[in-house]
Parts: sequence; structure tokens; C-alpha cells
Amino acid sequence: MASANTLTKLRYRFIPDHVIGEILSKKWIDNAIPFLVLICVIVVFGSLIPNFFSGSNLSITSRQLGEFALVCIAMMLVIVVGGIDLSVGSNFALGNFMTLALLNLAGWSVWTTVPAVILICGSVGLLNGVLVGYLRLRAFLTTLVTLIIVRAVVDMLLLKYAQAMSMSFYQSDAWDLMGLGGFFGIPFSFCVLIVVAIVGHILLTRSRPGWRLMAIGGSRRSAHNIGLSVRRTVCATYTISGMLCGLAGVLYAARLSGAGTDTGMGLEISALTAAVLGGNSLGGGRGSIVKALIGAVIVLVMTNGVLRLGLNSGSGPMVLGLTLIFAVFVDVRWLKNRDKLLNKVYVSPTYIELPEPASTSADSGSAFALNDRLKDVEIIGLADVESPEDVILDDDDYLYCGTRHGDIVRFAPPDYKTHEVYAHIGGSPLGMSWDKDRNLLVCVGGMGLYKIDRSRTVTKVTDETNRSKLSVVDDSRLRLADDLDIAPDGRIYFSEATIRYEMHDWPVDALESRGNGRLICFDPKTGRTQTVLRNLIFPNGICTAQDGQSILFAESWACRISRYYIDGPKAGTVERVLDRLPGYPDNINRASDGTYWAAIMGMRSPALDVALRMPGFRKRMARRIAPDQWLYPNLNIGCVIRFDDRGEVLETLWDQGAENHPMITSMREHKGYLYLGGITNNRIGRIKLEGRDTSWSGYRNYWGRA
Amino acid sequence: MANALRNWVDRFLGRGEAAVTVPPLDGALKPNNILEEAPVGIHAKTPDNLVVTTTGLVYSSGSTLHHQPACGGAGAVLLDAGAAVTAIAASETGLLAVATPRGIAFFDASGSPAAGFSSGTQACANVTAMAFSPDGSLVVAVGSSKNALENWQRDLLDGERAGSVWRLDPNTGQAAVLASRLGFPNGIAIEPDGTIVVSEAWEKRLVRLDAGGKMLGQVMEDLPGYPARISGSARQGYWLSVFAPRSQLIEFVLREDVYRKAMMAEVAPEFWIAPALRSGYSFREPMQGGALKQMGILKPWAPTRSYGLVIELTADFVPLRSFHSRAGGRRHGITSAVEAGGKLWATSKRGDEVIAVNLGMQGN
Repeated sequence: MASANTLTKLRYRFIPDHVIGEILSKKWIDNAIPFLVLICVIVVFGSLIPNFFSGSNLSITSRQLGEFALVCIAMMLVIVVGGIDLSVGSNFALGNFMTLALLNLAGWSVWTTVPAVILICGSVGLLNGVLVGYLRLRAFLTTLVTLIIVRAVVDMLLLKYAQAMSMSFYQSDAWDLMGLGGFFGIPFSFCVLIVVAIVGHILLTRSRPGWRLMAIGGSRRSAHNIGLSVRRTVCATYTISGMLCGLAGVLYAARLSGAGTDTGMGLEISALTAAVLGGNSLGGGRGSIVKALIGAVIVLVMTNGVLRLGLNSGSGPMVLGLTLIFAVFVDVRWLKNRDKLLNKVYVSPTYIELPEPASTSADSGSAFALNDRLKDVEIIGLADVESPEDVILDDDDYLYCGTRHGDIVRFAPPDYKTHEVYAHIGGSPLGMSWDKDRNLLVCVGGMGLYKIDRSRTVTKVTDETNRSKLSVVDDSRLRLADDLDIAPDGRIYFSEATIRYEMHDWPVDALESRGNGRLICFDPKTGRTQTVLRNLIFPNGICTAQDGQSILFAESWACRISRYYIDGPKAGTVERVLDRLPGYPDNINRASDGTYWAAIMGMRSPALDVALRMPGFRKRMARRIAPDQWLYPNLNIGCVIRFDDRGEVLETLWDQGAENHPMITSMREHKGYLYLGGITNNRIGRIKLEGRDTSWSGYRNYWGRA
Repeated sequence: MANALRNWVDRFLGRGEAAVTVPPLDGALKPNNILEEAPVGIHAKTPDNLVVTTTGLVYSSGSTLHHQPACGGAGAVLLDAGAAVTAIAASETGLLAVATPRGIAFFDASGSPAAGFSSGTQACANVTAMAFSPDGSLVVAVGSSKNALENWQRDLLDGERAGSVWRLDPNTGQAAVLASRLGFPNGIAIEPDGTIVVSEAWEKRLVRLDAGGKMLGQVMEDLPGYPARISGSARQGYWLSVFAPRSQLIEFVLREDVYRKAMMAEVAPEFWIAPALRSGYSFREPMQGGALKQMGILKPWAPTRSYGLVIELTADFVPLRSFHSRAGGRRHGITSAVEAGGKLWATSKRGDEVIAVNLGMQGN
């Protein structure tokens, strides 16, 4: 039994299951299947064809790829915006012809010809763009028409000038470089492709125009509704597509220096195949340069390979067609099932063995013994506030709390019957603290750390920290800032409970019980945010110790409270203060007599404690049964404990029936009263404490008399 | 080999045998709050089996039997059996059979021991239900030969099929096994033609046996809860009590041997992930996600380990209507229900209450 446990422990320590879910949630995982197909195609044809990997073959292939991939990128752009461009082949032929004509017949130089050709082909794209974008014609029909017309124009021009062109022969160093040369042994056209691809990738994924393009492709109506100029963007995309075809035409002309009627014949089909094979969705909104490139390589290797294998003439298109239908099939299945798969594998529990909890039975004589001291709690703001996770009072006795609507609500003393919205932040306001200048600092779930100054202006303090080096997902953004406190020197320490779950499903993190949380410090002097402790198990409450040398933090799912030294000789070290708690600790706050209050938001159930030692059980549970049915920590009852710096629990306040406060996530002592907040409650509680200092307030305790 | 492979795939994907689907409560079983909202009933300590006798109602409560006039009014202790009563049955002639761990004893309608009847020499422990058949013999259901009745949760989690049905002739004391290896037979009804319908709790079904004990088939299957006792209704149909609900989590735990064994070894039975006769009384009970209170309210459709449900069936065992006490309610764990005096009387065993629902109000 013990050795089996050790094995499980080791297995979960060293094999990071959660990475699978994180990889699946990345956008680039869409490329996985096209990439596999690419590898297969290369392996199959590489082994079938002799000299496939030889330098000369690679050089020829990459030179062709330079042209072809540009056309594929052109096609991909139009597909991403929700259209289709069938005129790429004709446009390509036009570019090829115009290049040769301008160089050979008109006697232009390369430096003027290339831009001119790109503009000419761009104007064909513009025509498409105006017709499709502004006049709202069907993309398929419109580009079919331009396909025919442009092809006809090229044919007519060829008829007229072909003979004259074949008589002359243009030659210059630049032209030779384009057609035959390259840089560092890389063919010229391939270099052009690399530049276009990099610029295109950055534009598409990191710039506003790119995002707009994706947005329009994803949902044209929504994009229009949020104020994007759909028509202009669509028109511009077709124009860019035309220009890329022109560029490809130029490179083709430089390579072969010949114009024929079959130039670019069927290119639109190949380009479309490549775009779809690469995983660009025909419906729009999903696509990337990388996908286009992968598709282009697959198609090119296959068509060339079939040609070189010497199969009869119909087999090339046949192989292409079969691959296309396979790609479409896999793409559809993948799209449909990816989220399902992600949902099933995202929850990835790990091994945790909690120590035996302290006894809570009424006759145990322990500090946790059940009592009914919270039974007669006074209720404030019943049904006026929803989800007051934290409560705080200022020196004038006003009571503040956050709500799930993103408001900070303020209740007026002395009876707290009237309330007003003090400020609106948005998100889910959680932990709160006063700084020295009486600004209210608030941790907002889903947003970050915010400040409300005395004129009620809301400003963002920070919403990101340094990204950890070995994390698959970008963990720099704050997902669930939970509670904060301020050190005497003004540094703000706050906890981020988990980086894997959002505000609405935070209890699911308990099923994982992995160290998904962290402790973060914001230094107002430098304006920098820095993660100071990682891999904490749902770090929740934060409180600066009475001596200002350390901060106390609660790790909810580990049922313990620890201390992190921020000053003094032990700075930077962590020390356990309290463990074996019978429940899950939440916020910690100072008490008037130099001790601390901690809220216990829920209680441990023995059946769950057993399950925590069995990650496989919890993983299967997450897959097999509906989330509503999952075994949860019991968050329907809580209590308040008071403990001191040595980690001794001095007293516990219970409400056994849990009638008024099913869940207690925070408490504040203020002038002889204890105020209670709870994240799933619709009320605030208040109870008179016997024998406490009736002039004590949190603000004065931290910052002295203002 | 192919079978083993398929089982393995099923286990991996959660299909077939490994699926944890639970039938929904719909149609005639659509949830309502009738049981929960019924007027305050009779307070009794762990009332269990309720029968109609010639003089009124009799219910068991611990080791005593209580008599209750069907039209209402004050009840009285009828007799003390000396040990916890697990089942009772009343014949048309007024004879009362009372089962305790010590055996089956017979009493007349006034509560004094009836002479001339005997349960023979068989060890008749763990009797869950009894019924007199028209020929005067007593059909007895034994829940499990492996576990005592108070350990019924262990019996379920261990997957025991150690129950049996007997026929006992009270005049001679001779007994014969009718059927064995049943999954906790927990209720008996005798049909007019003498066939026997038994509720098999762990199989979540009702089965029909002929008078000789031959299995004739299932009359109800895949019930949404674990069935308990069956009694006749005034419309020639039946009332079926369902003492606990099924849930996906419990079905899942039943398929997880390692966890199940560890839980049973380390955790006190009242905190097991298992069906229960009541829940929500201790924070150490397991809680499921949907049962998280929001704004101070536990949703009535929340997953729960206990539930109150009585179903009215036609003579052909088709559900007609049902009375519920939903998640968060107090009248859970209905172990028996009978119709008398225009009311449905039901025992909420761990709710410590005998509830009367006025049937006139419900129409039909």
C-alpha cells in the first residue's frame, strides 16, 4: 500500500498531465494534423523517389515552392476573410505575361517592371474586391468571372505578342539572380517567400488589420456590429491577394522566361487544395500563414512526386483529390471534437495527501469544537448585495463590499440600512485593502489589481506579472487575483488563486489540488509586478503580520497557513504557521489583540480526502460524470477562527445550521464587531464580539491616526 | 479475449458497463413537492414498516409497533417486540407477523401473541419485507445473508447479491426458499393470481416470481432510485416506496474498486459516497458540485444522496403519479407507504416522521 502510494506520488510529481490540456488549448494545435500529414507525405515520397533529399532536387523544389506558396498565401488570406479567390491562376498568368512583355517588348528595367506588374495584378484583385466587398456580389461567381476574363485577356495578348516576345531575350544580373540565383544557396523565390511569410504572420497575428481580418471571417455580422469597416477590409484582402499573385507571376517569369497558354492552368485548384489541406477553414475566420505553407508543401511534394514516379496522367489529380477529401474529413472531425477532447482532458488532478484534520466535535475540547456563536448574527444588506467575497470598513465606519456585478457597494453607519454603489469596476471584486492614502485597493477576479481613490476614480494598478519560463500557456495575465495586503513600505502583495481556472469555476481547482496559484508583489516605487512564490495550492488570504516582517498566506486546498518573510534576516523564506485545518482557509485579517482572524470557507469531507490520494479516480470522475455531479469540497458551511503568530488556534466561531452564512470567505474586526462576507452569499453578517477593543479599526492599526 | 478487450475499451471510454447514466425523473415521475409540503405528520423514532390491518394502521418504530386510526386521531403503542422490528405484515384475518433479528413472531389484532403459529426453526434474520399470500402462507424477503440490515450501504457497495425470498407456512413453521441470490429484495406484493412481485433494490428493478419461485421476468427496470416496500392501492394498483435516489457519482464509485475499498476502510459509514436515508446533517458528508448553495439557496434539483419518493403504479406496474421530497428536504428515505382512509401514509425512516398526504386533493 505504502509503496503503491509512493509510486503514485512520484508519477504525479514527474509526469505533468496538465500540460496536455494546456497544449490542446493552444491555437497552434490546429496545425498538428496537417503537420502530421506533411511528415507522412515527405516520408512516403522521400522513400519512393530516388534523390528526393539531394541538394539539387531540394533547390528546384524550394524554388517552385516560392512561387506556389505565395499563391497559396493569397488564397488563404481570402479564405480567412470568408471568401474565395478563383482568379489566382489567371492572375498569376497575367503577371507572368506582363513581366515578360514589359521587360522584352517595352524595354523596362527590372526595378520598374516588378512594381508595375504587382500593381497590375493588384488592380485585378481590386476589381474583385470592389465587386465582392462593396457591391456585395458572391465571391465564388465574381472570381469565376475574373478567372475567365483575365484568362481570355492573357490568351488574346499572347496571340498578339507571343511571337514578338519569343524573338527577344532580356538579360540582366538582377533578372538572373531572381531566376537562377539566391542568397546563401537558398533560391531567390524561397527568400521572397520567407520574407512575405514572416511579415504576413506578424501582420495577421500581431496587428490590428490582421485581427480585423480574422474577426470579419469569423463572424461578418458581429464584426460589422462592433464597427469594423467590413467592406474596406474585404476589398483590401482581395487586392493583397492579387498583388501576391503578381509577385508569384514575376518569380515564375524569372525562372522559366516563357509565356504559354497553360501557365497557371489549374493553379486555383492546387492553391485551394493546399489551403484546405493546411487546415484553413473554408468558412473563414480560422487560418494562418503556417497552415498555408504546410498545405503548399504537401501539395507541391505530392504533385511533383506523382509526376516523377511516372504514373499516368490522371493519377496526379486523383491523388490530390483523395488527399483533399481526407483532409476535409479529418478537419471536420477535429474541429467538432477538439473542444470535447479539451473538456475531457483539461481537469488533471494530482496527488495530495492531507494530514489528519483537527477534530471539530463539540466534546473534543479542541479549539475547533463546534459551537453556535454565529447563530445570532445580524444581517446587513440581505438581497441587496450578491457575492460579497470581502468586506472592509473605513475609519468613518462605512462598510464596503464587492459584488459579482463588479460594483463596490458602500453601506452607511450606524445601522447599515442604506447603501450606494461606491464605484463600478467590473469583473468580480474579491479582496480589498486600504493603502496609506486611503485609496481602496481591490483584487478583481478576471481583471487584476485595481485602485479606487478618494474621488472614486477607478484606475488599474496591474494586470500582469512576469511570464514563467517553462509554462506552455501564457501565464503573465492575472486570471484570478484573490486577496491582497500592503507591507509597511507600500509594496502590495497579492495572491492569484489559480492560473488554470476562471472566476466562475474556481472550485474545480480543488479537484486538481495542484500548485496552480502564486503570490505576486507589486512595487509602487518601480511600478513592477513580480511573482515571488509559485506552485502554491490555491493561495487565498493574504495578511501582513503584525510586526510587518512577513506576510501570512492561506493555501486553501492544502488546508494550511504559511508565512513568507519579506524583511529581516529570514527575508525570502517560507515557514509553516498552521496546518491540519479541518476546512479550507480563505481570507486572513488582523485582530485587535495582535492575533489574526481567518475565514474557513468550507469543510473537509473524509470521502474527498480519500479521493485526493487517488488522482486517477478524480480524473476519471471528471471525464465520466457531469460537472454538477463531481465530488466537491463542502463549501456550504464555514467558520471563523482566530490564531496567533505561533500558529495556535485560540477560538472558533461556528454557525452549525449554516442558516445565515452558508459560506464565510472573509471577516473584519472593527470597533468591537466582526463583519462577515461570503462569496456565494447575498448578505453581510455582523456580530458583536465580547471584550474586544471597541476603538480598534483596521486602517489605524495599519497606518496610524490619519 | 474479445470480451476482455471490449471491457477494457468500455472502461477507458466510459461506455457500456462502465457508463454511469441514471434515468431522469420525468413523465409520471416529474418532481413535485407534495411529500415535503404535506402537513406535519406523526413524530416517531425511525418509523419503518407501515401496514393496514383490520382496525387501522400499524407502523414499526424501533422495537415497538404503534397503532394509528386511519381517519386520524391519536395513536397508541400496540406492542413491544423486544428487539428492533425490521418488517411486519398483516393478514386479512387480522394476524400480524413481526420480524425481528430474533425471528418472526405472530400477534393478533390487539397486540397479544397469537397461539398456534410458528416460524419454525429457520434462522430468519435480516427480513426486509413480508406479505401474506391468499392461501395464508407468508412470503418473506431476506435482504442479505452477508450483512446486517443496518449495514445495507456496505451490502450495496460490496455488490452483494445475497438476498433471498422464502415461503413460510405459519401453521406448521415449514419454510422453503423461493428465490435466492437476489440484490437486496426489499419489498413484496402478492398479485391476485398468487404470483409474487419483489423489489430488488440493488438491481433497481421489480421482478415477478410465480408461486413456486420461478423467475417470470422484470416488471419494472432501471428505476431512478432504490426501491423499498410495495403495497396495494385502492385502485387495484400499487404504491412503490423508493428509499434513496441513484446518482451518477454513486454509480461511478460502484465501478471504482480501489477507491471504494479505501473509502469503506477509512471513512465512517455515514460519510460514505453512498445512498442515504437522510443527508445534509453534517458537513463531513460528501458534497457534489451542484449542491453548492448560491445566494443562500440549495437548488431543489441539486445532486443529493437522499430523496423522498413514492410512486403510484397501475395493476400493470405503469407509473401513474409520484410524490416527492427533493434535495434539501426533510422527508427523505421513504421505506414504506400505504393507502388508508383517503390518505397516503408514508414513513420517513430517518426523518422520524409518519407523513399523511391527502389523496383527495390530488385528483385522479
